[in-house]
Amino acid sequence: MTDDKDVLRDVWFGRIPTCFTLYQDEITEREAEPYYLLLPRVSYLTLVTDKVKKHFQKVMRQEDISEIWFEYEGTPLKWHYPIGLLFDLLASSSALPWNITVHFKSFPEKDLLHCPSKDAIEAHFMSCMKEADALKHKSQVINEMQKKDHKQLWMGLQNDRFDQFWAINRKLMEYPAEENGFRYIPFRIYQTTTERPFIQKLFRPVAADGQLHTLGDLLKEVCPSAVAPEDGERKNQVMIHGIEPMLETPLQWLSEHLSYPDNFLHISIIPQPTD
Amino acid sequence: MEEDEFIGEKTFQRCCAEFIKHSQEIGDSWEWRPSKDCSDGYMCKIHFQIKNEPAVSHPGTSTHGQTCLPMEEAFELPSDDCEVIEAPEASQVIKYEYHVLYSCSYQVPVLYFRASFLDGRPLTLKDIWEGVHECYKTRLLQGPWDTITQQEHPILGQPFFVLHPCKTNEFMTPVLKNSRKINKNVNYITSWLSIVGPVVGLNLPLSYAKATSQDQRNVD
Repeated sequence: MTDDKDVLRDVWFGRIPTCFTLYQDEITEREAEPYYLLLPRVSYLTLVTDKVKKHFQKVMRQEDISEIWFEYEGTPLKWHYPIGLLFDLLASSSALPWNITVHFKSFPEKDLLHCPSKDAIEAHFMSCMKEADALKHKSQVINEMQKKDHKQLWMGLQNDRFDQFWAINRKLMEYPAEENGFRYIPFRIYQTTTERPFIQKLFRPVAADGQLHTLGDLLKEVCPSAVAPEDGERKNQVMIHGIEPMLETPLQWLSEHLSYPDNFLHISIIPQPTD
Repeated sequence: MEEDEFIGEKTFQRCCAEFIKHSQEIGDSWEWRPSKDCSDGYMCKIHFQIKNEPAVSHPGTSTHGQTCLPMEEAFELPSDDCEVIEAPEASQVIKYEYHVLYSCSYQVPVLYFRASFLDGRPLTLKDIWEGVHECYKTRLLQGPWDTITQQEHPILGQPFFVLHPCKTNEFMTPVLKNSRKINKNVNYITSWLSIVGPVVGLNLPLSYAKATSQDQRNVD
């Protein structure tokens, strides 16, 4: 029987085979070959694509290069969303590899955040972690940590070091003995069909009567259209890390085992594939 | 123990409604915008400012270590068109758009804003950091990435700048506790905005404080 801890490793080491192609209108001095890379599901595009950038910049002139940005089938990709979330939400029903187009011009100011440096990614990541702990522990656990612990979380993610990361992150997954879970569950639910980028609300992992709330309970409460059956057949898939957890799964368990490194459950609601 | 620095979402919405009511009375242009699904919304105001004109100076500068009420310190930016002798160059005019949203994670309001020149060119994070008034610069420089950064607007999904809420609580608590002792009916949004607004160039006319307090007292 698989240990629950194995799930943590499977989540951390998830990869998506990706093919990066330079946008056809970019000016190059010679032909740009596509670049293939296995992207970590739990990381961020601008954190893991230095090699991609270098590869394409080799065939371009310095003056034709400004801030890099990525796009999939016309949709600019938000670097501040975890890679696995972007894939599940936008491309999971398409064949692999994931085909991403690389741009160096015409940064879409209205759609994408700028990523001026690695500091920006670290700031964003730490900001998400702090928000998650505000929900789980009223920020008590994360505020009690030293600066070097915060650094270790970031370095663990940046350098793909599971043990280094979890040595600190395990403290964020604890809760008082007298409780049955966190104060509130950090989650965000994404659907491409809404203007609103995501749904995030206060939701407790344990009901008043002590019963553990399930994924199904969460969806019924905050996103009922996602699970309302139409003629008995479900319209949508509910996906986390490329899988569809059973709706009966306790939310507290999902939060402890299927959260991204930022400690949020990023949940995609996507239409059932038609094949 | 009273948790002064936190408010629930319903209280937030009620305070915003009162705030907007006064805004309408004085011709300040705050309005409420509901989200598409109408489950929530935010307060919004658009404001034009000439770049490089110093933000309003505050007597007594910093927000901590003062015994006077925050509402006494915040006062209206003098009307630009009365003060300027010649018309400013179009390139120097900046359009600011301020949004006040509720954060259920931190249970406080959060100030989002974006800024662009009249030709639509947005200001960069660096521009924003450089534009922060001198009296807040020290605090900003201690941790710029913890204070003002670019983030996705939670309702519109577009890039905005945001003043981080966790820093807000640091200076909100003592000021709120003090102001509530004197003025029990103070509007939370008024107090909060009069403290955080000036950091990013937003100032409140004094009448907001007078409008919501029914318990006037002279403070020397």
